[in-house]
Amino acid sequence: MHGFANPARFLRIARWLTPLLLLSGIVLSAGSLAWGLWRAPAESLQGETVRILFIHVPTAWLGMAGWSAIAVASLVELVWRHPLAGIAARASALPGAVYTAMCLISGSLWGRPAWGTWWVWDGRLTSMLVLLFLYFGYMALAQASENAGQSRVAAIFGLVGAVNIPIIHYSVLWWNSLHQPPSISVGNSAMAPDFLIPLLVATVGFSLIFGGVVLTRMRTILADAQAEARLRRKAQATEGQA
Amino acid sequence: MAVKAKHQRLVLVVIALVAILGAGALAAWALRSQASYFYVPSEIAAKPPEPDRAVRLGGMVERGSLKTEADGVTIAFVVGDGKARVPVRFKGITPSLFVEGSGVVAEGRMGADGTFNADNLLAKHDERYVPREMKDMTAAQARETVKETQ
Amino acid sequence: MRETLDPWLFIYVSYAMGVIGTALMVGWSWLGMKAAEARRDRSRER
Repeated sequence: MHGFANPARFLRIARWLTPLLLLSGIVLSAGSLAWGLWRAPAESLQGETVRILFIHVPTAWLGMAGWSAIAVASLVELVWRHPLAGIAARASALPGAVYTAMCLISGSLWGRPAWGTWWVWDGRLTSMLVLLFLYFGYMALAQASENAGQSRVAAIFGLVGAVNIPIIHYSVLWWNSLHQPPSISVGNSAMAPDFLIPLLVATVGFSLIFGGVVLTRMRTILADAQAEARLRRKAQATEGQA
Repeated sequence: MAVKAKHQRLVLVVIALVAILGAGALAAWALRSQASYFYVPSEIAAKPPEPDRAVRLGGMVERGSLKTEADGVTIAFVVGDGKARVPVRFKGITPSLFVEGSGVVAEGRMGADGTFNADNLLAKHDERYVPREMKDMTAAQARETVKETQ
Repeated sequence: MRETLDPWLFIYVSYAMGVIGTALMVGWSWLGMKAAEARRDRSRER
């Protein structure tokens, strides 16, 4: 495991993996979205509106997966003091927040024609909005503690905030909500293959883009740290000479 | 020594996580009735709300119960949850997905006559997604088609 | 009376939001990374 702790080794892999993830993700999501927009059938009750599914579900999954990644990376950072884990956690925050916001916006655009309202304060919608604010809080903490040179606070916040993820998932089962229960569970689908297959492709595509953005941001953080360290060494060296 | 410190941290983090998850589950359990977005008909029947309190009623629109009243604007239907039934009256624009046999959430007040007077209707849909072309087939045909495409 | 909305308006707005949002996020992160790596390489040369 500590083999990946070496930034040089990580960078060697990330250099070719980043464009590969981004490009394959863009191809898959563009294809499945075009399919969802023009080829997928209308739904028997909802009609054409169902096409928002192909944006809404992948972004919802990644909004939740993003925080799960932050929580796992924070755990590794706290317990094993793995240097890349903290960087990975920080790198997941922005794409996670962007996808959560896109999930809320697409859900609102779906709710208006399907339910007759832009927004309700039911369990699912409220817990998803809480997730967006958790992301904002995490990004602020990570930014602040980065300057102070310690990231323990952000990692603890990342772990504690993970309690919201099962709440989001089970909100539609625990409480009466306007949002319907999940259509897909392990080995079981209430969704016809005409919707399910393009949805799965879109989810894979969006996830590849997510992975590519995480790698991009990890490389940014590493490059900034390396440049800063080098400048500091040089400043000390010139001071020593004078 | 280093291994020991790592184990100690792992145990501490796991204990903290279990405590947080327990607290979250406890809070969710305590909120189970308050956090619900609506009451189902059997809850309304068991404990009717005060006549002037704004509540939400959610359930299935019973098939064959939807009628337009003499004024041509007011609609009446029955919301059921399999255990109890509540008659609802509503005057206004219904969402496009509001149909018999589908879910609905009505915002309004319980009338003295046992009828729920709704100010607003929201359509609730279920987790099933069926292509439009397949709806007109019989159930057996649809199953065949689904099987073929899988 | 039944509400009639044009579903395509909502569909196109949500797809546009998804595509533009993703493009901005990817482009901004990518350019930020390129700038940071160029800064690092410059600090190596000097």
